[in-house]
Amino acid sequence: MLARRFMSHILIVDDSQTIRRMVKASLAPLGVEFIEASSGLEAIERLAVGSIQLMVLDLNMPDMHGLEVLGFVRANQKFQQLPILVLTTRDDAASRTAAMQAGATAYLTKPFTPQTLLGEARGLLERTVEGTR
Amino acid sequence: MTDFLDNFLDDYFAEAEEHLAVIRRALLTLEHSVGQRRIDGGVLEELFRSFHSLKGIAGMVDHRETEALAHELESYLRALREGDVILTTGGMDLLIKGAGALEASIAARRAKGPARDTGVVVEEIQSLITRDGTSQPAAKPESRGRGNWLCTFTPSPALIARGVNVDVVRSRLREIGEIITAAPMVNAQGSVAFQFEVSAAVSDELIERWQPDGLHFTPIAPGGAPGARAGADDRSGSILSSGHYVRVDLARLDELMRMIGNLVILRSRLTDTLARSERHMPPGQYREVQDDAEAIERELRELREGVMRIRLVPVGEIFRRMPFVVRDLARDSGRSVNVVLSGQDTKIDKFLVERMMDPVLHLVRNAVSHGIETPVERGAAGKPPAATIRLSASASGETVVIEIADDGRGIDVDKVTARAKQAGLPVPSGTIDAVALLELISAPGFSTRDASDRVSGRGFGMNVVRETLQELGGTMQVETHPGEGTRFIIELPLTLAIAAAMLARVGDQIFAVPQAAVREVAEFEAASIRAMQGAEVVEFRGAPLPVVRLSTALNVAPSDATRFHAFIIGSGAAAVGLLVDRIVGHREIVVRTTADPLIRVEGVSGATDLGDGRAVLILDAGAIARQARDRHGRRGLTVVRGIA
Repeated sequence: MLARRFMSHILIVDDSQTIRRMVKASLAPLGVEFIEASSGLEAIERLAVGSIQLMVLDLNMPDMHGLEVLGFVRANQKFQQLPILVLTTRDDAASRTAAMQAGATAYLTKPFTPQTLLGEARGLLERTVEGTR
Repeated sequence: MTDFLDNFLDDYFAEAEEHLAVIRRALLTLEHSVGQRRIDGGVLEELFRSFHSLKGIAGMVDHRETEALAHELESYLRALREGDVILTTGGMDLLIKGAGALEASIAARRAKGPARDTGVVVEEIQSLITRDGTSQPAAKPESRGRGNWLCTFTPSPALIARGVNVDVVRSRLREIGEIITAAPMVNAQGSVAFQFEVSAAVSDELIERWQPDGLHFTPIAPGGAPGARAGADDRSGSILSSGHYVRVDLARLDELMRMIGNLVILRSRLTDTLARSERHMPPGQYREVQDDAEAIERELRELREGVMRIRLVPVGEIFRRMPFVVRDLARDSGRSVNVVLSGQDTKIDKFLVERMMDPVLHLVRNAVSHGIETPVERGAAGKPPAATIRLSASASGETVVIEIADDGRGIDVDKVTARAKQAGLPVPSGTIDAVALLELISAPGFSTRDASDRVSGRGFGMNVVRETLQELGGTMQVETHPGEGTRFIIELPLTLAIAAAMLARVGDQIFAVPQAAVREVAEFEAASIRAMQGAEVVEFRGAPLPVVRLSTALNVAPSDATRFHAFIIGSGAAAVGLLVDRIVGHREIVVRTTADPLIRVEGVSGATDLGDGRAVLILDAGAIARQARDRHGRRGLTVVRGIA
């Protein structure tokens, strides 16, 4: 089991507290620890100071767009392998393409079901674990 | 999925309310941009984000009508932002209507009522985007001096190869001016671009020279960006979920306040015990304990103020709804009304904001329905056709003053007395002054409603306004002048629960009088009290001041004191002195209101525990003064002039 191997930290970046709570509730079965950020700048700060195994990232945020966060994160050598799941209401092809080009690992649109998010996150974490073994 | 969603409904409603508040505020600002090709980018962005976030969370809790409507509003905002449509009056109306429909839809869901059909508004917005669409290029600015500019930089591999990247662009912009905001964006082609809002002197030559480097400049209206930032600053101190803020359940703060209240009572008990112990303790030791007790009191006061501050929210939360109400009402009744708001940042207890919403709404509705004339009538009276309703708030010590003023026809005293008589209400003979007038219109059963009023049928009259204020420990005054307008002045305590009070002895009893109600304290010789036309008065600051003996008002055995202390309540001609035997102290008291109608007594607003087990009644000084004025007639209290 994933959780037994090491304690994973998931960074949830969304300016909506409701969404952050929903993400946490959906991913609770993973038995991981959650770190929350409500803005892009805060996300980068948390990333810089903590050990994060997965980032769930919203695109539309007040201070810094999710794409800018992606750009910053991917430009940094240290975070190039970090799986980033973009979770957004933007369901148009242009947004999806822009996010994937900017370095998103996966793209999921809101509204999401807890099962879909859980499946996606589990897959991303397992791939990382295999990659780092 | 439904069980999962149910856990988040409260979060959804709370967050939706925050977004709606932002939307209301932004719409008011946006209204000034109707018909303009360039709109304040910050406000558009704020609105856009709020609709977008609302759409997101509504979708998550499976609230489809709200999601669909928020989506359409977001689309319209996007079209405005991208300059595809111009904001017309119709568009503004529809945005307001849309925001109202969102609010109603969320409220219906919250009340578990039938879903609101938002389909009609959705269609209206869709057709509006098509109708208001424009392909005209943005007008070229005439002045190219130092101003606010939107600089868009679209990076490309070729540019980067030439050494032009976002950092270089940022340095260049810093050289020519100040960068106000910097944000990445996705342009219509799906590629990433960066938008910089700069305050700089941008010449035509510079625009041309930098164009090949992927930089594109568009001027923005002055004040746009700072306005947007001021909006963001507004949030400081309020309880939001973003960034460094946490959202706190009001009930938890109430609980905290209750605990502090208990501490205040315990502290009082300590003072009493200490006073009794003084003679049994060595003086040095007594002083030490005394110093500690005082230190605890200081800390306690700071703790109380700290918790109180957490509960404070800007009074603007009440005000911002009003322009929308007035707008609808004015349109329906063929009136033209401007609403001017001031002092919106004045902070007031969250609980008071919620309770004051309906009373203020009622006074504003009344102003439109009864106070304001039609444009034709106004023209005939030599007034501008558009009336003005001013809502203002200001803090003064422990109280907050809210004023609702209109420049309409004023209250028709004759009509009011006629209606009151018709309704079988007691009407005082002689001059009806402002105090009596307020009494009449606030009497239960009084109504000036006409069948056509939208106010009617809402079950909320002036008497409910007065009752709510009494319950909250507030007061109301009215000033009205025929042909010039009416002003309601509401005074509210900053917060409930704990108040500074003066303790007074009357006969063998102690009463507490909230300090906020007391204008002044004075001392009089019993011999100086004179009877004048059936009432008692004293000479105070060169004028007769009506006085009330509290022993008489409260049926307490009077003492044979030769000197009285007096609480001066109210100001100017409405001032009344409440006579007590002696003022015995000053305390912070924990207010327990007597909301139970069975034990409610006019003149008593609640009770408190002084810490020694004694329950002490808290007097409603305003009500006692009012009763006194009723009993003794109203000589020398005339405020309204020119009304027979």
